[in-house]
This record gives sequence, structure tokens and C-alpha cells, in this order.
Amino acid sequence: MDKISPAAVADLRALLGDRVLTEPGALAAYGRDATPLFRHAPDVVVQPLTTEEVAGVMRIATRHRVPVTTRGAGTNLCAATVPLSGGIVLSTMRMTALLEVSREEMLTVCQPGVTAGALNRAAATEGLIYVPDPGSKEASTIGGNVATCAGGLRGLKYGVTRQYVLGLEAVLPDGEVIRTGGRLVKDVAGYDLTRLLVGSEGTLAVITEITMALVPNPAAARYGVAYFESMTDASVAVRDIVASGPAPATLEFMDAVCIAAVEDFAHLGLRLDAGALLLFGDDGEPDAVDRSVARMAEVCAGRATHIELAASVAAAEDLLAARRCNLPALARSGSMTILEDVTVPRPKLAEMVAFVAATAEKHGVRIGTFGHAGDGNLHPTAVVDADDPAATAAAVAAFDDIFRHAVDLGGTITGEHGVGAAKLPYLEHRLGPEQMALLRRIKGAFDPLGLLNPGKLGS
Amino acid sequence: MSEDTTSAVSKNVFSKDLLDACISCGFCLPACPTYALTGQEQSSPRGRITLMRMLETGELPADDSTLAEESSLCLGCRACETVCPAGVQYGHLLEEWRDEQWSGSKRPWIVRPLLLVANRKWVLRLLGLARRSARKRETSTQTTLMLGCFERALFPSVSRNLAALDPTLAVDPDQGCCGALHAHNGDLEQGRDLARALGERLPGTIVTTSGGCAAHLADVIGRDRVVEASEWLLKQNTDTAKTERPLRVGLQDSCHLRNGLGVWQEPRELLGRTATYVELPSAGSCCGAAGTYALVRKKESKAILAKKIAEIEAADLDLVIAVNPGCLRQLQTGLRKSKSRTKAVHIVDYLRGRQP
Repeated sequence: MDKISPAAVADLRALLGDRVLTEPGALAAYGRDATPLFRHAPDVVVQPLTTEEVAGVMRIATRHRVPVTTRGAGTNLCAATVPLSGGIVLSTMRMTALLEVSREEMLTVCQPGVTAGALNRAAATEGLIYVPDPGSKEASTIGGNVATCAGGLRGLKYGVTRQYVLGLEAVLPDGEVIRTGGRLVKDVAGYDLTRLLVGSEGTLAVITEITMALVPNPAAARYGVAYFESMTDASVAVRDIVASGPAPATLEFMDAVCIAAVEDFAHLGLRLDAGALLLFGDDGEPDAVDRSVARMAEVCAGRATHIELAASVAAAEDLLAARRCNLPALARSGSMTILEDVTVPRPKLAEMVAFVAATAEKHGVRIGTFGHAGDGNLHPTAVVDADDPAATAAAVAAFDDIFRHAVDLGGTITGEHGVGAAKLPYLEHRLGPEQMALLRRIKGAFDPLGLLNPGKLGS
Repeated sequence: MSEDTTSAVSKNVFSKDLLDACISCGFCLPACPTYALTGQEQSSPRGRITLMRMLETGELPADDSTLAEESSLCLGCRACETVCPAGVQYGHLLEEWRDEQWSGSKRPWIVRPLLLVANRKWVLRLLGLARRSARKRETSTQTTLMLGCFERALFPSVSRNLAALDPTLAVDPDQGCCGALHAHNGDLEQGRDLARALGERLPGTIVTTSGGCAAHLADVIGRDRVVEASEWLLKQNTDTAKTERPLRVGLQDSCHLRNGLGVWQEPRELLGRTATYVELPSAGSCCGAAGTYALVRKKESKAILAKKIAEIEAADLDLVIAVNPGCLRQLQTGLRKSKSRTKAVHIVDYLRGRQP
């Protein structure tokens, strides 16, 4: 598209004053998010404070036919917030009002720029927690979490962001404001537009207020770790654990490449001779948690080479830290990391893990795999030298194979990171031509001019 | 799809390995005080590294206005380093950035006389004499008290009291500046030269009363040779004064001491022994003094200080303790202006029982 017109910028300035950025340096900073390889600067950045101001921005964008890319903290890993067609980046980072935390209704109402971490701390004052806990929770915004349907380490037992969004307020491209859902657990009046907007990556509307369910803070949590000779053995143990009783809160695993990287970085005393590490844990009432953890250890006993239960809170924190520092630990060993997010049905986990390892070898790429084993959600991560185009190309080729194989196994190209620009080329393989066409019709119904986040979902 | 086309042209402003370490994950955003002020990506550590990269590749011209603004708006507090999963050495990157951005005539005029003063040993010595900072003393140990250059003039009691608390410390008034001031204000080479010279002048262990000096000196001459005063007093198990009435005492960390050297428990432990210690909610984040920041960026410095003072008022403290002369001056100014009952005191003065 053409550069934004001076008249459109003047209209934005009349609406928002100095909360309109046009300096080349500022625009450059908004030209990327946490995704490597994707960069494109916007023509202008706006920082609205209220729903009315967002509506005003959208009316201006519609009048002047300027694309709008909504951006929270920009921590996503699929280039969802890179403004590929330039135009306006609408930053929600000044929309940080936490309007309500209700113990009685177990919900919160907030603007999109509140971080998941801040929301969690506010919830804690009422003895509640905000469940989804993506790795980026201290930095990432609730708006962004909703727009990408963020997951995290508690998906198996508690689900992901979509299970907690009760209602949304959103601004349509022409500036109209809609409210979907509300404060109700039960509400079947109309299509479920709330769920449609969750994970829509800013392509249908701009989310301006979120009503989110909270849950009581569990009384206790316990964790243990099991080591296996191979990721295949760990995957089979995961399948058996889930089949043996109620879903536990945490089933996370990592391969030998990750174990070595984490130990080198964090010095937690992990066993370097193991082929795989499985972190298991549960939360709830103390008795039930003890039983659950003991049951998981028992199921692992047949296959694991070693099992250790965390005796203290500090030891449990170490285990969780080991899992959470996977990406940075890997990142330190190269100048660029490409982190992916394929997900397969749990019974296919062992097969997928083996395929990733074989594919890495075939393309000569160093790939470490960790992930939310209980959810069948893998994060194969390639560590490459950013200055070596051949290495990057090899990593991209390896992931091409991995995406396609995941879909062939009945899985998906992304479990929790989103499609964005990074995985759009693979979306049709996942959805098929009929669904892709329907996606485009839905997009057209919300955004007939194609102004919202062009080059992403439904485009 | 628009691919990253990293230009092969390199300006050699930055060390490549330092600049390459950032993975742009954005985990630094919530730790950054200036990002909290503006909510703008270019005022975040990640955004600034994007700017540095574009300066390095020439995608932004060296005279770009955002480069100038952001290299100056950054406090240099290094809070981002403590939350960075990739281990980015942001403080070093900022020093290299300012070395380019604030070189020669581009340096803010207000910091130039400070650097000139700090460059001259005899001026520092005269200042110390006039203000009666710690006097020359030889001891049998290989441990010397470092005399902060502006501390000699502004807070001469600090070095006097530390020398009194620990009679084993040698004092050598003929020492220069450690160069932290230079390193943080666009003269990295001079900053390192001064630190090395100080390291040669004072052989053995150097005990400092300033978190900022401690971090810079440790960076150049080695961590094993530098000990900050609270660290030292705790290690030596020095007898400190008991106050007559139980005081409510809070602490303002020194950013470089906490984020650069990882020293934050030590002052808390010392204070906890002698007073009712109250942890301020933002004790670990910058007070807005940030070396010359309070002079160069008055408006932002005051905005950050205002929040801090409100927090101190809400905590109803008798004393708020500083472990760095810059923070001490900043807090004293803020508390005086708001007519607070709380007094700001250097930890050494407090432990000697000589608070005002």
C-alpha cells in the first residue's frame, strides 16, 4: 500500500495530540516483534487511551483507507504484530486500566494493555489467580494474550486463554463498538463472537476491554522430575500418565540438547546422561496433590532411569525454572533462535518427537525440543548463526517438513503462538481450501476494506 | 513476507557479540523505568537495541533524532539485565552507544565541567581537604578506602565515618576518579583508563562507599578487588552503632550495585540488625538520580523521584538509607522539597550513628 497521507496523520494528531509518533527511529522500533526474520516499519504509531479514541483512530483509518496493526507488548513469536503493509500501528500499551477484580463473581475487567503478570498480582489480593501463564506473562498484555489465544504450562488441566474469556468489547474497522459475551458463565444468545475474536490476531476488530474469569488460588502444588533414555520413552510415559487418572497441572519435557543447554546456563544439577527429562506436577488440595504426584511417579517408574520428587518449594522452583529457561538457555548458544510450536494428538507425541530429531539431522540443523508434553505441544527450537543465510534456509526447510508432518499426524502448525505472518504459508495445509475460503468471508464480514492487520489470518 | 536484510555494512560502534545477544523477546519491557514513563517501544531496552542495530548497520543516520533522544533518556540503571533471559549486557552496550552519541561536542554541556573536575586529581584533593573527608592514613593491610570524587565535596562525613568504623582501612587522598562518570557519559576510554590508574594507585582490595563506582571499577580491574562498604562491613563483622529508639528504616538500592554486582542483601541485613527494616515496594528500581541523569534529564528524573518520594511518605519512615552518593543527593532533594519528616542518610553515616 501507499504511504499514509499527511491528511490522515493530521487527523490522527487532531485526535491524539502528541500520542502520534512519526520519527523514523520510533517507527523502526515498532517494525519488529519477538519473531526473528520479519521486519517492516509502520508509517505512524498511535497510543490511544480509551475505547472512544480507538474508535476515532478506526474512523480515520477507514476514511483514509490506511491499514491498522494492533500491538500490545510485541512479545509474540509469529510476527503477528509486524505491520507488513505499513500504515498505523495502534499500540495498546497506554490502555492499562484494571477496572475490576471481583472475588464474588470470580472475574476481572481490564483494558488490553494490562500485563498478565499485573493481572495475576491483582487477582492474588483476592485469593484468585489468572490461569493462563505463557512464558512471556510478565511482559505480555492481556489484549495480546487474547488476540493470540496464549497457552502456557497449565494447559492440560486448566485449558488456555479461550477458556477464560467471558466477554469482550471491541471496535470494528468503521469505528462501531461491539460488546460480546459478558459476565455470564452461561450465555448462548447468538454466535459465539467472543470465541471468534479470541485468537483472531487483530484481523477482525480491535479489542478494547476484556472480562476474564479467575479461579481460586490452589492450596498446594508439588513437582517431580523423571529422566528417560529417550524422548520416545518420555512421550510414552506422558501418554500413560494421562490415561491413568485425572489430568495433572504440569507435564513438561525437554530433550538432551535442552538439558545440556539449561544445565550449562542455570547449574541446577540436572542429569546430563539422560536422553529426556519430564517435569510433572499438580496443584490443588494437599492430600490430592500428594496422591497425584505419587501416581505419576509410579507410572514413570517402569520406564524412567531416575525419578526425583522435589522435597521443598525451593527445589520445585528450581525444576520450574529449568523448564522456563529452555529458550534463553538455547538462545545463548547461537545468534538467532527460531522457535516453533507444532502440536499433535498425545498418542502421536513419540512419533512426532522422533520425526523432529530425524529432520534436524537430515537438514543439518541443531534443534532442541522442549514443550508441553501433556498437551502434545512441542517447541522445536533451531539455533542458527544469523550471519549464515544457508543455515537459516536449512532451518526454514526443516520446519517446513515438521509443519507438514504434524498436520499429517492430525496435529496443527501452531498450538499457542499463533499464525501471524510466520505460519500463514502453512495455514491452508492445516485448514484446507474450503475453510480458508470461509475464513476470508468471515474476515470480509468484519473488515470489508481489509484494513486490519493485512497479510495475516483471513487475508 | 519481508525478510530481514541485515546490511553487511558495519559502523563498529558496538561489540558484535554484545549486540547479537538480544533475541528481542521483550522480557525487559516491564523492568524499564523509562518504558513505564512513555509506553513507547523505542524507550524500552529492546527498542533501544533495535535502534543500536540500525545505527550499526547505517539504516538510521548517526544524527537521527530518536537515537539522540533515546541514548539520553535511558537511565542506564541496568534493571533490564536482571530479567534478561539471554544475558544481554545492556550497560556495556549503553556505554558504547554514548561513546558514539555523546562524543566530543555532542556531549550535553552540563556534564562537561563535571568530567573536567573529575579528571584533575589535585582538584579532588583540595575538595577533600576543604570539606574534611577522611585524612591520609597508612595501615598494615592491603585494603584501601576509595574516596569518591564528588562524595568528598558533597558528603565528606561518609569517608570519615567509614575510616572510623574500620581502623584497618588505609586512606590515600592522592587518588583520582574511578572513571565511572566518564564511562557513563560518552568517554569510555578515559573511563577505563582512570579505573586502571586507580587500581594501580591503590593495590589490593578497594572498599567503596558508592555503588556506581564499585560496579565500574569491578568491571575494569576485576570483581575480586572491589568491595562495597555494606559488603565489607558485613564481612568484617564490624561493630556498628545501636540507635536509642527503634527507627523505621527503608533502603534505596544503588542500581549498579544491585543490578551490576548483585549486592542487595548485605545492606538489608545490616539495617535489619539495628532498626525496624521496611522494604519499600520499589527499593530495587531507580530513584532518577542515575549519575548525571538528574542534571541532563531534569523532567524525567523528577517524575521518577516523585513516585519514589510518595512511596517513602506512605511507608512513614524515619530514615531512608542510600548506598550511593548520587541516590543520597536525589532523595535528600526530593524529601526536602516535599517537607517530609523522613531523612535520607548514607548507610555508613547511619551505621556510625551519625545521622542528622
